[in-house]
Amino acid sequence: MFELILTLVLLVIGFVFGQIAEKRHFRSIIQREAETRDLLCFNERRIPQDMFSPHVTLVCGSVVVSVDFFKHFVATLRNLVGGRVSAYESLLERARREAVLRMKAQALAQGATSVWNVRVETSSIHQGQRQGIGAVEVMAYGTALVPR
Amino acid sequence: MGAYENRTVPEGINVSPVHPLKDFAVLLFGVSLSVIAFVIVLALLAGYLVRYVPFSYEQSLVSRAVAPWLEPSTDPLDQQRQRYLQSLADRLSSVMNLPDGMQVTVHYVQKDTVNAMATLGGHVVVFQGLLDVMPNENALAMVLAHEMAHVRYRHPIVATGRGFAVTLALSALAGIGDGVMERWVGQMGILPMLSFSRSQETEADALALESLQQSYGHVEGAAALFEYAAAETPVLSLPTLLATHPDHEDRIRRIQVFAQEHPPAMAPQLQPLPDYMKSKAKSNESQ
Repeated sequence: MFELILTLVLLVIGFVFGQIAEKRHFRSIIQREAETRDLLCFNERRIPQDMFSPHVTLVCGSVVVSVDFFKHFVATLRNLVGGRVSAYESLLERARREAVLRMKAQALAQGATSVWNVRVETSSIHQGQRQGIGAVEVMAYGTALVPR
Repeated sequence: MGAYENRTVPEGINVSPVHPLKDFAVLLFGVSLSVIAFVIVLALLAGYLVRYVPFSYEQSLVSRAVAPWLEPSTDPLDQQRQRYLQSLADRLSSVMNLPDGMQVTVHYVQKDTVNAMATLGGHVVVFQGLLDVMPNENALAMVLAHEMAHVRYRHPIVATGRGFAVTLALSALAGIGDGVMERWVGQMGILPMLSFSRSQETEADALALESLQQSYGHVEGAAALFEYAAAETPVLSLPTLLATHPDHEDRIRRIQVFAQEHPPAMAPQLQPLPDYMKSKAKSNESQ
């Protein structure tokens, strides 16, 4: 009985705080993406000759996002029956976009106008063995081009 | 430069457009319902099969694992109480049609616990605490007959068999999730088990009433323990869905209905309990 109540309380806390954090994060992401629109990002490996500048530098941005209790619970239920884990989809979307934004911030700080060969990597840094809650790290990196 | 540009990508492409609460509700409802259905089927199957275990096997199983507190006391007063309880049980078992080879052994335990219980091998345990709140022999006979009815219907071994089967099956599921998931599945699995437990109690109450009717000619005083328990129960009690026993009020009501359906031939007489059945402290108080 006590465990049922505890689980429900944790679920409510997880849902309320998780949703607030997610909504706020998405608002911030959309706003910052609009602000950094002028810095171009491409996944192309070769920088076109006409744009080449001798000053290139490695930039990267990484972010660690933890899953809340609610998402975790829904995902474990989903693991039983299979299907799209929509609870985690929004989490990873946030993490990817945040990582790219941080990479862009680094590039802008160096005076870059574009970033080339952008790669995004994901790794789970805590699987969440028993009671644990998983967290995911997303890193974006690329070659920033600083015009002379 | 003109060939390269970053266009704005519309929102919501990488995320399934499902409201998290809807996703949660569908999953939780589906998984919980499946677990409950699975446990019900498994428990019914286990309960059905375990009845084929002969009573003598059950007895030998328990004789090897009898708890030390079930050993008879050397105190002459305790032995006197024990003999009284056993003779009452023997009288009740003569009207209960126990199957061949089934015996009920009553154990008296000097503890304040207001309870009695039936366990594997036809062992019924009565605590002094119960005797102290029993107003008369009829009330005690109701409790004793209730526990003997559990033995008669083989409820202890059925509950044990079901418990084993369901625990084993649910722990096999545990590998899929983690702690929280395991707890949730466990809780859902308990719900049908509690319902089985409540129906066992109701079944035992019914047979106990029949036996009382045959033994004394009336069921007066049968509700004493439930009336006591209803008065003692804290205001904030568990909902019936989460309890092992039916509601006290419901049990009292069923006894009243039975009494109305079986009116006694003459004015009901309550048998007093012998003085030595009450603990010394309590009998001193009353003097």
